[in-house]
Amino acid sequence: MGSRPEFSAQTLSVLAALCEEPSRWRHGYALAKQTGLKSGTLYPILVRLADRGLMEARWQDEQPPGPRRHMYRLTPEGLAAAAEALAAIAAPALAAAPAGIRIRRSPPRHLPAEA
Amino acid sequence: MDGLTQAMAALLRRSMAAAPADRREWTEAILSEAADVPPGWPRLAWLAGGLRLTVLQAALVRRAGCALAFAAAAAGVAWSAWSGPPGDPAVAINRVDVITVVVILAALPWVIGRTRGQVSAGRPARLVRTGGYVTILALVLVKTAVRRVADAPPNNLGGATAAWTGEVVFLAVMVGYAALILACTARRSPAVPATVAGAVAAGTAIGVMAYALGPLGFPLRFAGPWPARLYDAALAMGVYLAVCAPLAAGLAAAWRNSRSSRAGSGFGPGVRAGVRAGTKPRARAGLGQGALAGLCTGAAAALVVTVLSTATIALLPYDSGLREWGAGHIGHWAPAAGQWGQVLGPGTRAGYVAGNSAFAAGFLLVLLLGPLLGGAFGAWGARAWHVLTRTAQPNASM
Repeated sequence: MGSRPEFSAQTLSVLAALCEEPSRWRHGYALAKQTGLKSGTLYPILVRLADRGLMEARWQDEQPPGPRRHMYRLTPEGLAAAAEALAAIAAPALAAAPAGIRIRRSPPRHLPAEA
Repeated sequence: MDGLTQAMAALLRRSMAAAPADRREWTEAILSEAADVPPGWPRLAWLAGGLRLTVLQAALVRRAGCALAFAAAAAGVAWSAWSGPPGDPAVAINRVDVITVVVILAALPWVIGRTRGQVSAGRPARLVRTGGYVTILALVLVKTAVRRVADAPPNNLGGATAAWTGEVVFLAVMVGYAALILACTARRSPAVPATVAGAVAAGTAIGVMAYALGPLGFPLRFAGPWPARLYDAALAMGVYLAVCAPLAAGLAAAWRNSRSSRAGSGFGPGVRAGVRAGTKPRARAGLGQGALAGLCTGAAAALVVTVLSTATIALLPYDSGLREWGAGHIGHWAPAAGQWGQVLGPGTRAGYVAGNSAFAAGFLLVLLLGPLLGGAFGAWGARAWHVLTRTAQPNASM
């Protein structure tokens, strides 16, 4: 009997995005743009990751001009789990991943760097 | 577009109340970040995603609530059935009864879910499933109450073997009922949801009517000539309706099947097969839908009349008014008629409880035969529809 994968393709894409700069807090819209996921798909994933203690969330402390933001980053457990899950996918497999997975190697230029 | 986006944002803000308090920050996050999203369709889609998240969160709460409600109801039934003196065979049977039925009701959704999927979207399916579960638990509750009196020494005239055999048959029947309820309300149900809802509603009405005509499973006796004549007429009408209900449900299911086949939409697997494969398979699919509709009608009627009647039997030992009414209206029909004097007098209640036990066992037969007869009548109704439409359109198959 084959074991079920721990993370879905969409969750892996979110984990990969959060792994790029693990110490950096990211907001939902930036993650949505980076992964190509819609809010209705992205946010349930973020909720599950937070419930499992793999991701931490907080509201932005300083209030820059613009909307108040909810920020996310991986916990050490989340980082370990993400590294393990992503390592299990070989580089060629990543390249041939389904359309749902869009993992960028660098942050998109149009996004401002977060504090 | 701006108006639509604002309306969606307002809807999302209002819907936040449906989500649990500790989950609302996620919806707030979506709302606050909507300002970053380019206006127009992207922003509207972003907010719609927030609405989906809120609905998901609310659904999770509802699922947890359902599980908790089931656990509470099961615990209540178990607590009620558990009481009794140690060593009493009736108490042992009651405990086995409650544990087995609760395990069946808890495990079967998982088993059926693997093949038929989770509960179908829409209120009717949830209502039928919840109502079915509540009725089965209520039946266990009232049955254990009857058994506590009827099967306790010195009233256990039938012996332990007969009691345990009846118990095994009862549990097998309950598995069948629970599986039918779950399969017919699942996403990949073999029956059309509207057919199931209609058939269950008709069956419930027939069950209530049957209970009103004979609350303990026997026709009533009236003293005056006019009340007796009126009752006889009502009884004849009741029998007519009880036969017609599954027939009509089968006919309606076949009509719905042929209509959806013509429209090419197809409801269930059988219907789709009919659309693809021509008139004969379509008729067969219609026959299947008719039989299922009749089965649901018969099962609902049998379950409702059994619960109501068994509850009345369970109340008899404690309600003197009900006992006197029973002696006046059904005494001469009951097999334990000669025992009623003993029941109403001081001393033993053996004859009375033995008679009641016989009535309760009779309802096991009702539970067995109700769905079978309903299914047969439903298939008959579907066949009648097919014959009628074939006669009206002789070239339909060409």
